[in-house]
Amino acid sequence: MSELESRLLKTGAERLALLGKHAERLMQGYTRDDVPLDGLNDSALRKLLAARVLWRPDEQSGVKLSPKVRDLIAEMLADETRRHVNADVAETLELVRSLVHSYREARSRGEHWRQEQQLLRLRQEVDDLNGRFADAIDSLWQRLNSDFGFVSQLSDKIRENDRAQKQIVRLLDGLALIDFDELIALVGSDGSLRKLLISQLQQRLSHHYTSLREVQRRLIELMARFRKQQARSRLISGMVAFMREHPGFVPSNYAKRSDVPALFNHAVPLHAAAAPALDRALESRVLAELLHELPTPRHATQTVESAVPALTPEDSLAAARQQALKQDVERFYLAVLDQPPAEPISALAYLYDSHLEWPDEIWLFQVISEYQGLPRSEQQAFRLHQDESPASPFNDLRLIHDVALAVAV
Amino acid sequence: MIEHGPLLERLLAGEFVCAVSDDNAFRHLANEETRDAIDDYLRPLNRRLASNDEGSVYFLAWRQLNEGAREQLSRQLSDTVNSLLPLLEWLQLVQEALGRDTLAAPGDVLKPAEFSAKCEDNQSLRERLERLATDSFFGSQSDQLDAQVKQLFKRLKEHGYLLQPHTERQVFVVTGKIDYLIEVVRFIRDEENLPIDVEQEEGAQEALL
Repeated sequence: MSELESRLLKTGAERLALLGKHAERLMQGYTRDDVPLDGLNDSALRKLLAARVLWRPDEQSGVKLSPKVRDLIAEMLADETRRHVNADVAETLELVRSLVHSYREARSRGEHWRQEQQLLRLRQEVDDLNGRFADAIDSLWQRLNSDFGFVSQLSDKIRENDRAQKQIVRLLDGLALIDFDELIALVGSDGSLRKLLISQLQQRLSHHYTSLREVQRRLIELMARFRKQQARSRLISGMVAFMREHPGFVPSNYAKRSDVPALFNHAVPLHAAAAPALDRALESRVLAELLHELPTPRHATQTVESAVPALTPEDSLAAARQQALKQDVERFYLAVLDQPPAEPISALAYLYDSHLEWPDEIWLFQVISEYQGLPRSEQQAFRLHQDESPASPFNDLRLIHDVALAVAV
Repeated sequence: MIEHGPLLERLLAGEFVCAVSDDNAFRHLANEETRDAIDDYLRPLNRRLASNDEGSVYFLAWRQLNEGAREQLSRQLSDTVNSLLPLLEWLQLVQEALGRDTLAAPGDVLKPAEFSAKCEDNQSLRERLERLATDSFFGSQSDQLDAQVKQLFKRLKEHGYLLQPHTERQVFVVTGKIDYLIEVVRFIRDEENLPIDVEQEEGAQEALL
């Protein structure tokens, strides 16, 4: 390693370290107008100025970030408002030409070390050129994909889009400066130069060219959209202002024109109504199922108040008991019919056997009245025997103790 | 035609069909054969398929304009004109309240809660909202901000400018009918020669390609 090279390395590393050491202060300078100097000693400031990290436009003004450092920060942050697109092709080409010449000179003199150095610098220059195009294209895509989200106003977006389109034109102009016929003549028959300056470069540049064209197309599309939105906003605010100023404004009746504008010909709604039909057997079954599935209405049917004949609860209770008694007695008659003829059944015995809870007297009374209530023809089918005794010797009152019923033979 | 049944029903009911309201149907309508088939079907009903200039929204138009149809269109036109100012003011209010750089466009998502919150914090927006909500087109009876906003969104949904994908969620999507509304405004401006800033040539940029 030569002395020059090691000195370069040492100084370069020292100066790069300055960036890290003063990082926060430099970032403040990036976001503001000037770099704040409070707390910074003279020697540190001198070092920063010597490394061209900072510069002072004139004695009166404050200390500012140098443009290259500003670019570096913008590039690292992908800060699209500040990122510069600069592919200075003409100068690079000039440099490439002179490097090729000195490379050939070194080769013809047999100075291998110098030859290697020149080739290395050529490679770096070509890489730089590529890198600048790649960065520029990356920055353009970033802006495009965010819909220029780093500015909020539509008019700013339109301006930013316009600026990006101009950058693309400049980049395309730069690409057009690279004349491969000239480069082919320049490199001659040298294999490594040919590979570096012709085949590799051509491949990469054609890739950049395609990307630039694509991004340009998309930017134009986006611009059209922005303009459309802008036109809409203007149209709406213009119409609102007009209608507020002219509250009575009524446009002419377009519907009465011989040729009604397509926009205003909107036919009246037509509802395709349908009702359940029962003329198809299959469907009527489906309808029946649907009917069954209908949820029962949640609201209870309203009871209609109407006057009823005055009826005390006891009356209806008595009627119910009367009905129950009558049914029990009928069951007794049926039991008699099931018996062999001429075998009488005692009504009271039946009452006790059946565990019925009627009072004896009431039971007997009902059995007798049932018998008397039968039509004459049916009455003859039964024989009713009353077990009775005189109540007293003085009158003819008789007490019935029991009745026995039998089927008449 | 069977597969287009639901679409036909919506169109016949007077709906505007766009990519937001029915993506699938809209894609079918992009096909000319489908459009022709639908037109043939609608012929006996004296209707035909129509779209706005941009082709972003479809609706049904009268095929033959008889006297009755013209009467109906006249009434409709007057309704449209009466609703124009409140609708346009609403568009502006939404844009300003939500701090957007463009007017609401089809596919944009709007949340009433967000809108309310922005209006609540800003007296001028609050007053404009109040005025708009009590306009006869929106017809809010309430003096509560939330109820007013709710009413605005409800009416816009009824008129097909907004779509509510989930009934239980208060999130709305702007439909393609907004495009139709803007075209109506543009038509009226051009037809009546209104002194409104004439927009720049939209086609100029594409022509560069």
